[in-house]
Amino acid sequence: MSWWIGVAPLLLLLGGGLLIMLADAFAKERAELATTTTVTLALSGAISFYVLLVDPVLAPAPELVTRYLATDKLGAFFDVVICLGAALSTLLAGGYLREHGLERGEFYVLALFSAFGAMVLARAADMATLFIGLETMSLGVYAMIAFRRRSARAAEGAIKYFLLGSFAAAILLFGSALVYAGTGATSFVGIAAAMAGGEASTKLVLLGLLLVVVGLAFKVSAVPFHMWTPDAYEGAPTPATTFMSVAVKSAAFAVFVRLLMTSFGDPLSTSAAAGWPPVLAGLAAVTMVFGNLAALGQSSVKRMLAYSSIAHAGYVLVGLGAAARVPELGVSSVLFYLAAYTVSNALAFGALVYAGSKGKEAVSYADLAGLGRRHPGVGLAMAVGVLSLMGFPPTAGFFGKYYVFNAAVQAGGGWVWLAVLGVLSSAVGAYYYLRVVVLMFMREPAQGAPIAVPMKSGYVLVALVASAVFVMNLGLLPSTVLEMAVAAAQELVGA
Amino acid sequence: MFETYLPVFLMLGVATLVATLMFTLTSLLGPKKPTPEKMIPYEAGSNTTGARHLRLSVKFYLTAILFVVFDIEAVFLYPWASLFRELGWFGFLEMLLFLTILGVTLVYAWKKGALEWEK
Repeated sequence: MSWWIGVAPLLLLLGGGLLIMLADAFAKERAELATTTTVTLALSGAISFYVLLVDPVLAPAPELVTRYLATDKLGAFFDVVICLGAALSTLLAGGYLREHGLERGEFYVLALFSAFGAMVLARAADMATLFIGLETMSLGVYAMIAFRRRSARAAEGAIKYFLLGSFAAAILLFGSALVYAGTGATSFVGIAAAMAGGEASTKLVLLGLLLVVVGLAFKVSAVPFHMWTPDAYEGAPTPATTFMSVAVKSAAFAVFVRLLMTSFGDPLSTSAAAGWPPVLAGLAAVTMVFGNLAALGQSSVKRMLAYSSIAHAGYVLVGLGAAARVPELGVSSVLFYLAAYTVSNALAFGALVYAGSKGKEAVSYADLAGLGRRHPGVGLAMAVGVLSLMGFPPTAGFFGKYYVFNAAVQAGGGWVWLAVLGVLSSAVGAYYYLRVVVLMFMREPAQGAPIAVPMKSGYVLVALVASAVFVMNLGLLPSTVLEMAVAAAQELVGA
Repeated sequence: MFETYLPVFLMLGVATLVATLMFTLTSLLGPKKPTPEKMIPYEAGSNTTGARHLRLSVKFYLTAILFVVFDIEAVFLYPWASLFRELGWFGFLEMLLFLTILGVTLVYAWKKGALEWEK
């Protein structure tokens, strides 16, 4: 089969995005944009899913392409994850935007192009592609956060994310400049060759790598680079929050995995740049502990989910750090975790979208009181979502956590302690996740308190059913996706 | 390496010294006779009008951003044109793709009314 199929999802999104943009400008009725966008994203993801499932023999892509964009299984895996996350977000947007009087075509175009940037980022094989992908992804997100133009909260979140994001991008760019100064290469393979060949200037590369790690840690919202997360997540319209927490995070982790494994994973070069595994371990530890503790004290459910997404970044970092010792296991656990996290988080946010109609949104815990009894459907979706985020068997989140902590245990040494810390902090997390379930099913709202009324929307319903099916499917039959993750990891680390 | 940049550092030192000297000496030695007229902010010699915190129309921003977009296009087109023969068909198609995408954005901006000043 032609190598074109490797970049077909990207081209489909780009072409689809341009067409939808024109459709938005010329069409009077915008009702179909949500559907069109979701279908484009789903098709794009389906192409890569097909590649992963059938594993056809592809003709090698020309060097002109592979120098900048990887056409491997890791890229295909993240195509699927990113497209799935983005498609679920645009479905939610189809219901949410109309309900809250925000329906404008720009949202879907921004989401599409942002997803395109995320996929470029996940496939980046060169520092230049990394930066372009990162910026393409981020620019769309900044605008999506500020989509409620008249809301001060939204503006605050967007400005915070924009300013801090620009700084992080500058730090990352500075880091890659230093890596280039140290190795004379911008492509990941070229950096690896320079490191292995011993002609690299170790000090410069180490400093550069540290700065690149800071830039990426900002995008995955790892503590202490998480300051923007709660405000941006809370200010953004909920579908945009969903998009940020799944697609953006997955793409940033994708390039994290690829860069560290391709350029700095070689034993020869890790001895020179031995800095990154301990740094990631430290980041993972503070992120898990802080994310979970901060989520405990929240009164807004959306803010709680923001802190929970910080905690989840910590769990993924455990698997990523462990990949230094057990590459195949570590990388595949990260991939599976991100897939599981994407569907679980989309389900939880989707339920939050569904739980509120205009003027009667579900914001705080108190708003959720008795919701599960009054509206069992919403309650069930929310419960499955948070239980999966908590890591309750037999949901997707359970296996995600299991594989990540298993990788850490297999890595041995200090990583075992990190796994223990992870299990302990996710036990803390159980409190705030279960609180949602308890409130929904076992409490009644206080007298005279505002009552959240679920919205009526086919889009949101479809998104909820789809993500619930994926959550249960990944929990009961994880083997298909796990095999894909393992195959992608093997190809990356060359096992 | 340091020797190569020595003149630059020397220049930097001399410039800082001269600037500091000029400012301190004028503020120490110069006569000061402040009048209200002298204390107002200088605005091209004419009388100042209005407050500083003006709300500017978003139209300025739109025009500026469109200018940047098409300015970048020109920046790309010049080096491409000068290397046109070497790049061949590949370069031509590449540029065609770039211009198509840019053309779509222009149509979009036009249709959305970003180019109309009075509306």
